[in-house]
Amino acid sequence: MLAAKSFNNVINMTGGIKAWNSEQAVGAEDAGLSLFTGRETLEEILVVAYSLEKGLQDFYQLLSGKVGSDRAKQLFKKLAAIELIHQERLFTEYRKVTTQPISLQEFEQGLVVQAMEGGLTTQEYLDLYQPDLEVEADVVSLAMAIEAQALDLYLRARDRAPAAATKVTLQQIAEEERAHLKQLGKLLDT
Amino acid sequence: MRWKQFFTPAKSMTAPEAKQFMDRLSADQYNLVDVRQPGEYEAGHIPGARLIPVADLSERIAELDPEKPTLVY
Repeated sequence: MLAAKSFNNVINMTGGIKAWNSEQAVGAEDAGLSLFTGRETLEEILVVAYSLEKGLQDFYQLLSGKVGSDRAKQLFKKLAAIELIHQERLFTEYRKVTTQPISLQEFEQGLVVQAMEGGLTTQEYLDLYQPDLEVEADVVSLAMAIEAQALDLYLRARDRAPAAATKVTLQQIAEEERAHLKQLGKLLDT
Repeated sequence: MRWKQFFTPAKSMTAPEAKQFMDRLSADQYNLVDVRQPGEYEAGHIPGARLIPVADLSERIAELDPEKPTLVY
């Protein structure tokens, strides 16, 4: 079908999704997209992205206080620190595009989204993945699953955004999530 | 009858090759299409994959950029 419509470079992935051993996203195509209607300004998109990153930071900090293992505790703290770096990057981007000077406190008070990164609540993630919080591989795998959701969300929001500038911003954020996934993958290798 | 539609071969890649292919590029440099049903997509899909069930593919083909490599599963 594609070849007949002048698609000259069509590649079939053999084995389908069952052969895919990397991160997967779940949910319908519009899941979580209530966060992005496609009509947001750049500033609004950055606020939503920041709130999602902050939600995940809060999640990791919460877990670091719950787990008994010192190694797992340190891992959660490290992940929370990475999310803080993401937040700082997003606020820096926000200050570049906004016309009004704004403090971090004023910016954070504009956050209204409660859902954590990827558009699902903390409890929904725990119910979905049921990780053993004392096993490092489980913790990192959960973080990677959440980051994969975020990557998926930003890419689908990008596809639906009508404005080119909005697409570019969402693409940049998506690439950062992809880089974040690679960083988490390296934790599994150590 | 459009014979080309039946006989034009598509390249194949294994899943690890596909992952390496996508890792080398940014997400806006290729089309990634899931041609399964919505329920299958919801249960698990490659992040960023666009769902176009195979029965809808010919009608929704304009959603894809034919100049980009198109990875399908």
